[in-house]
Amino acid sequence: MKKSILFLALATVASVSFAQKKKITSSATISFDATTKLDALPKGDNKTVIGSIDTKKGSVAFEAIVKSFSFANPKMQEHFNSAGWMDSDKFPKASFKGTITNLADVKFTTDGTYSATVTGNLTIHGVTKPVTTTASIVVSGKTITTTTDFTVALADYGVNGPAIGAGKVSTDPKITVTAEFK
Amino acid sequence: MSEQQRKRSPWIKRILISGLVLLLAGAVIIYFIFTEKFADTSKSKADFTVHAMDLLHEFQQSDSLANAKYAEKIIIVSGRVTETEAADTTINIRMTDTTTSAYIIFAFQQQHLAEAKQLKVGDSVSIKGSCSGGIYSDILETETVSFKRCAINK
Repeated sequence: MKKSILFLALATVASVSFAQKKKITSSATISFDATTKLDALPKGDNKTVIGSIDTKKGSVAFEAIVKSFSFANPKMQEHFNSAGWMDSDKFPKASFKGTITNLADVKFTTDGTYSATVTGNLTIHGVTKPVTTTASIVVSGKTITTTTDFTVALADYGVNGPAIGAGKVSTDPKITVTAEFK
Repeated sequence: MSEQQRKRSPWIKRILISGLVLLLAGAVIIYFIFTEKFADTSKSKADFTVHAMDLLHEFQQSDSLANAKYAEKIIIVSGRVTETEAADTTINIRMTDTTTSAYIIFAFQQQHLAEAKQLKVGDSVSIKGSCSGGIYSDILETETVSFKRCAINK
């Protein structure tokens, strides 16, 4: 009887482990480029983004501390976090939750480069909007590297700093997300 | 030129020169503000010196209070490296509380990336960096505290 219970317990643990296809990193990178012809300064990156991918369900998620975006220029970083912009004291986190809609086209068990369509909700500045983007997924052994870039209309997220009107900050900054899952 | 115009002209000149000087001073100040770069963190004065686990516990108790206290401050954190993680072309260093999985993560300043690559799991180290604050991660279901522009504190 004891042996049967032990076997059952081991089998349950083994099946849970087998079904567990979620990979996580805490060092994904998001680059933010809002440069214009008038100003080359508004760009920064965040290298401590949390990301997860579930290769079985196709779900993907990212979380970023807004204050972790690092800019070369101190004044630019101060503006980025200020109340008129990202208001990072009030909205300390930006996040994305989505799903790979063409999961059947991505072979996570076979080395190669795949194109994935990802649809989900992006939350910035306390505002959540749907986003659809194309991501490149490179599978190499047990390592999965994902890369995507898309633009974000700042006005959609209630970000309306005066420098946007003056043409010094792009109305549609380019966001690039890179993550390596092991 | 009338007598009155002759008397007024030195004042107009002075006003014009003063305006020009102010304009130049403004341009120089704006130039310095927008070409300024963050200082080398290794040479910056630290606002706090803490042990990694003590800092994590403060954030776990109240991340709003801890964020108000530590965000955007230069902090020296001492602790043991529990993970190194690839980040873009470099690596980040993590100090994790193994009982709660809460962690501090350090992203290094460009000129100090080589120092980060030398670190190994198990090393005791003192890192100086700009604290970005902490959040509760819904993905990891734990507290995470992040640092940017870090350097090894020597």
